[in-house]
Amino acid sequence: MKVTYPHMGYLNIPVFNMLNNLGMEVIEAPPISQKTLELGSLYSPEGVCLPYKINMGNFLESIDQGADTLITICGAGKCRMGFFNAVQKISLAAKKKLQFFTINTENLFRDLYRFLRQTTGSGRLAVIKNIAMAVQTLKALDAINDAKNCYGARASAPEQIINICDSGVQQFAGCRNFSDISYTRDMVIDLMKNVTNSMESRPAKVALLGEFYVLMEPYVNHMIENLLIKQGIEVKKFVSTGEWVYSKAFLQSLGLYNEEKDCLNQARPYLNYHVGGDGLKSVGSALWSAQNGYDGIIHVYPFGCMPEVVAQYALKNIASDYNLPLLSLSLDEHSSDVGIITRVEAFADCIKRKQHCKEKTLRSLR
Amino acid sequence: MQLHIGIPRAMLYHEFGSLWSAFFQNMGIPVSVSGETNKQILDRGTLLAIDESCLPLKVYLGHVDSLLSKCSHIFVPRVAQYHRNFHFCAKFSGLPDVVKNTFRLSPEQLIAPNIEDKSPLSQLQAIYTTCQAMGLPAVPGYLAYRRALKSWRADTPCGSMPSNKIAIIGHSYLLKDTFFCQEMMNTLTSRGVTVVTPDHVVSKVLYDEAKVFQPDIYWQLSAKIVGAARFFCRQPDIAGIVMVSSFGCGPDSLVNEYVEHHVLKQSTKPHIIINIDEHTGSAGLITRIEAFWDLVERRLKS
Repeated sequence: MKVTYPHMGYLNIPVFNMLNNLGMEVIEAPPISQKTLELGSLYSPEGVCLPYKINMGNFLESIDQGADTLITICGAGKCRMGFFNAVQKISLAAKKKLQFFTINTENLFRDLYRFLRQTTGSGRLAVIKNIAMAVQTLKALDAINDAKNCYGARASAPEQIINICDSGVQQFAGCRNFSDISYTRDMVIDLMKNVTNSMESRPAKVALLGEFYVLMEPYVNHMIENLLIKQGIEVKKFVSTGEWVYSKAFLQSLGLYNEEKDCLNQARPYLNYHVGGDGLKSVGSALWSAQNGYDGIIHVYPFGCMPEVVAQYALKNIASDYNLPLLSLSLDEHSSDVGIITRVEAFADCIKRKQHCKEKTLRSLR
Repeated sequence: MQLHIGIPRAMLYHEFGSLWSAFFQNMGIPVSVSGETNKQILDRGTLLAIDESCLPLKVYLGHVDSLLSKCSHIFVPRVAQYHRNFHFCAKFSGLPDVVKNTFRLSPEQLIAPNIEDKSPLSQLQAIYTTCQAMGLPAVPGYLAYRRALKSWRADTPCGSMPSNKIAIIGHSYLLKDTFFCQEMMNTLTSRGVTVVTPDHVVSKVLYDEAKVFQPDIYWQLSAKIVGAARFFCRQPDIAGIVMVSSFGCGPDSLVNEYVEHHVLKQSTKPHIIINIDEHTGSAGLITRIEAFWDLVERRLKS
C-alpha cells in the first residue's frame, strides 16, 4: 500500500511525518507546478473550481510514481469540495485500480483515528500521539509564518526573513517528538527576530482573507504574502491550518468550540447565515479588520467559488461603508504571475499613499 | 405606503411559487409576481450582480429590481434545507443577504423567513417572522398557510406520463423560465415531439431514484436531476435526454460529469448537455437541438 495525499501549503510536512512514523509507505506528490496544473485541468470538468483541478493534478502525478491509495477530505458544508472525490474517482479509476480513503472534516479526529488504526495496525497511544504531534507541528509552522509576516514587514531586507522562514519550515521534516518541534520553532523565530533591526516602525496592515485552500497554498496564490512583505506591508491571514485542525479535531469533537457561531456574531449585519465553505468567515474577518484599524483587505478565492461569491456581495458594502480599499483576486488556472503581481503592487501603493495622507493630516492637526 | 408584497419570478419561485402567492392572498394582502424574464430583466440583473454569480442569481436580482418601484416589501425566503439529508446550494442560503447587500434594502423592506428544514417548528417560525414583518397577527397567518399548503399540494402533478419522446432535465428555475428554455421546447414541439420535464413526475419518485447516489450527492436540486436522469433513462418511450445547466453553476459543474458517467453512459439513450449563459443568441441553441433531434430520429428509424 503506497499512500498519497494532495498538497496544501506546508500540510504535507506533518502528514508525512505522521504516516511515516506509523510505518506507512508514503509517496509524496511532487510540489505543485505548471505541469500539475495542466495535467489536472486536462482531467477535470471544465467549470469546476481551481482546488479540484490541482488536487487532481497531485493525484495523477503521484499515481504515476506508483501510489495506489489516496487520502482525500470532504465535508465543507454546502461547498463543492464534499463532492470532489465522487467525481475524481471516475477519471482516476480509469487509470489504475485505486483505493480511496475519505476523511470527513466534520469528524476529523474520529475519521483520522479510524483510518490510521485500520491501515497501520499501530496501538491506540501511538496513533493519538502522532495525531497530536502533527497538530503541534502545524501550529508551530503557523507561528513561524505569522512571525515572518510580522518581522518581514519591518526588516530592511525582507528577502532574508523569507529565506529563513523557508529553510526553517524544512527543518520540521525530521522532528520526532514534542520538544523537537518547540525547539525548532523557537530557534527559527529567534533567527528572524535577530535579523530585524527595528520593531518601532508601524507598517501598513492588510487583512488577507478568502477561501481556505488558495490562501494556504503559496503556488496558487502566487506567494501573495511574500509580495506584500517585500512592499513593507504587514499581512494578517485569518485562517491557519494549525488552528483549524486543532479546533476541528479536538475542541469541536469535545463540544468546546463552535466556529460557526463565532463567525455569525462577527459577520452581522452583512451576512446573517452560514453559506457553506469559508464565506461567513471571510465576511466576519473583513468586518473585524475594518473595525480594528486595518488599512486594506485582500480577498482571494478560486474562480466561481460559490460561498465566496456570496461573501463578495457583503464585502463590497463593508469596503464602501468603512472606506477601506478592497482587492478581489479570483484565481483560475489561467491567472498569470505578472497580472497578480501588478495588481498587488498597485494596491500596495494605494494603501501606502492613503496611510501617508492620514499621517500628514494627523501631524497638521497637532 | 400601503402593504404590497413582491415575489420575484426566479429561483425557488418555480418550485414553491403558487404556495407563496396563495399564502399572501389568503391573508388578504396584495401580491405582485414579477413578469416573465426578458432581456431587460436579464441585463439589469447582470449589471447588478457580481460577475461570477451564476445565471439564475443574476436573473433573480433583475426580478427584484423590477419589483422595487411598486412594492413595499420584497419576499425573499431563505431555504437552507427542505428534504431531509439534502441541502440547497450556497447561493440559496445567502439569498436574503445578497439581495439586501445589492440593493441596500432596510431590514423592514425585506421579508426573509428562514426555513432551516422541513420540520413543523421551522415552518411555524417562518410564518411567525413573515407575519411580524408585515405587522400582522400570527394565528390567521398560520391558518392562511395551512390553506395555501393544501391547494399547493393538490396542484402537484399526478403520475401519468405522456407517451413519447424527449426528456429535458435541469433545474426548474431554468426549465420553467420562458426566456431560457421556451425556444428550445418550441423547436422540439414544432417537430411533433412531446417534451417531458422532471415536473411531470412526482417528486417522491425522483428522490427515491436518487437514493442510489445518496452518500455522494448532498444538494437537493442536484439529487432531483440525477434521479430524473435515472428515471427517464429507464422509460422505454423516452427517445433522448437533454440536460440543461447554466454557466457558473457550482453543483452542476461536478454533477453533470457524475450523471454522464453513472447514468447517461450506462444507458443506450442519446443525450446532450447544453450550457447556457447570459449572452443570448438562440441560433446556436436551436442548431444544437435540431442536430440532436436528427440524431434521435435516425436512431428511432433504424
